[in-house]
Amino acid sequence: MRILLVEDDPDLSRQLKVALADAGYAVDHAPDGEEAQFLGETEPYDAVILDLGLPKVDGVSVLERWRRENMATPVLILTARGAWSEKVAGFDAGADDYLTKPFHTEELLARLRALLRRSAGHSAPSLACGGLRLDPRAARASVNGEPLRLTSLEYRLLHYLMMHQGRVISRTELVEHLYDQDFDRDSNTIEVFIGRVRKKIGPERIETVRGLGYRLTCPDEETGGEAQAS
Amino acid sequence: MLLALGWSLSALIVSAILLALLFQQAAIRRVDQTLGELIDNLVAGSTVEGNQVFAPPFTDERSLRVYSGRYWEIAEPTADGKLRPFARSTSLFDSMLSPPSDLAARLKAKPGKAIAYDTHGPLNEPLRARAQQNLLPGRKAPVIFLAGEDRSSINRDVRGFAAATAVAFLLLGAGLIVAIVMQVRVGLQPLFDLQSEVSDVRRGKAQRLAATYPSELTPLADELNALVGHNQEVVERQRTHVGNLAHALKTPISVMLTEAAQRPGDLSEVVTRQTEAMRQQVDHHLRRARAAARMQGQGERTSVAEVLDELSRTLERIFLEKGVVIDWDAAEDVYFLGERQDLLEIAGNAVENACKWCKSKVRVRAEALGPDRFRLLVEDDGPGLPPDRRDEVVRRGTRLDETAPGSGLGLSIIDELARAYGSILILGDSSLGGLRLEIDLPRAEA
Repeated sequence: MRILLVEDDPDLSRQLKVALADAGYAVDHAPDGEEAQFLGETEPYDAVILDLGLPKVDGVSVLERWRRENMATPVLILTARGAWSEKVAGFDAGADDYLTKPFHTEELLARLRALLRRSAGHSAPSLACGGLRLDPRAARASVNGEPLRLTSLEYRLLHYLMMHQGRVISRTELVEHLYDQDFDRDSNTIEVFIGRVRKKIGPERIETVRGLGYRLTCPDEETGGEAQAS
Repeated sequence: MLLALGWSLSALIVSAILLALLFQQAAIRRVDQTLGELIDNLVAGSTVEGNQVFAPPFTDERSLRVYSGRYWEIAEPTADGKLRPFARSTSLFDSMLSPPSDLAARLKAKPGKAIAYDTHGPLNEPLRARAQQNLLPGRKAPVIFLAGEDRSSINRDVRGFAAATAVAFLLLGAGLIVAIVMQVRVGLQPLFDLQSEVSDVRRGKAQRLAATYPSELTPLADELNALVGHNQEVVERQRTHVGNLAHALKTPISVMLTEAAQRPGDLSEVVTRQTEAMRQQVDHHLRRARAAARMQGQGERTSVAEVLDELSRTLERIFLEKGVVIDWDAAEDVYFLGERQDLLEIAGNAVENACKWCKSKVRVRAEALGPDRFRLLVEDDGPGLPPDRRDEVVRRGTRLDETAPGSGLGLSIIDELARAYGSILILGDSSLGGLRLEIDLPRAEA
């Protein structure tokens, strides 16, 4: 397992390198944003530990660029800033986990193990529809290369629609597949979720078929339905 | 405005009264003149025979018709100040003009001069009268000539004029009132606009004054904007400064803790204990700085739906392994009146706590309680919390379960922030089976 550690503090870097090596990982170290950017784009890492306060280029910008270039490597953010506004910004940039300084080395290792297990566990192929792309492995979606920011229920809705693109899907069917057996939601709230997803992917993509349900349409490209094993 | 109104209205009333008086005087002068001519004719036409005085033959219809409204009388003063009549107009029939009792004396004092006075006629009608004392050729004792004219028609004319004037002036007054009110309204409108905009900024509906003002007010609006901007800048700078300092300390603290943990011994124990104390101080002062900045800051408004959307995405990713599903809903028109960071912190800690304890389901709702409050509800399907332990968890930040990740201070942080917004955190039982967190927060107008 090869890990990229991005951290500018020499003492903390040394400690983490030792701890990670002891745990059996191969570790590369980048002390600033530029080098991290370069290494992340050129080397095939299994996971990245990324400090946000970096010289030259800050961590969030590095991460955003990686994600725009479709780099799917799991990233754990390490930062002194623990406010929720900063966590949200980190996850929106594409982070998979977030650890606030000061932390215990054991906790970092545990989180890293979970991250690696998670990314190895999924092997489902990614789905595409027009400019829409959904990657079940990382539980991420994008539209025209821009990452989509979806909650879990919205993601499930889009996932189901993309698996059955072109077909009309009734509300009842959506309710059944969106919620676990005992979620007490009535089918009217599906409209709310359709509305939220439309807002995020563009209103014309999900068509309302009066009296029947909804249909996801894929304009232009004939890639609809094609499953890419990536 | 009231001053201008009062002044205009009293000026109107005084002029109306003056006009009516002038009209009345002019009418009376005209009557006096007619009576003067009548007396002149009597004086010129009267003849003396012995002690007796005879009136000239009058042929005008009004002197002949009984109670016509025009009367005359010729008399002489007696020794006791009364009048003894010689002749009178046919119109008087058998009554007499009733002069004031001191008339003879007053005429005697000013011989040849006429005296005008008001009295009553034979039908008790108001009468304008005139009296004059003259000497006639062939007679030593003076003779008094009296003439009277019914003035009720004049009185009617004056009343009619006064009424017409009053109506005209009332209309004029009403028009003036409307005009003044309109002028003040229109003239002061920019100031009212300015006031409402400043109040919007204070209540967080706007960041700055945006409307265009007349050139006289533009400098004031610009200064106010500069002041608002300066305030926001100071608050932001202060917050950034304290934040940077505190955050800069976190990496060294982390290094020291790790280093100490790797080399067991007395020294490492002391270092660990002291470093932990430093860490708590840093956290504490970060929160204090945030609270202080909040007190000074301009009110902002934050979309609750946006914040819940962001938090749900983030927390579902954090708890991805556990497979937590966050079901959130908030009306589009519910806005939090306060800092976005604070709502993120309140809701973030609440939802994180729910994600930590739930089996798989978390329900988040934001419901309007009225125009200026809304309620944030966070529920989970976890084990819940026995009622007797709730207070200690919220108020003292006790950590209930050492195995659950996180600082364990989440609930007390929520309570602390809620108090800054005039509310408290209330714990209850959820219909999902777990704990229910309830926080009422200020709502901004949409």
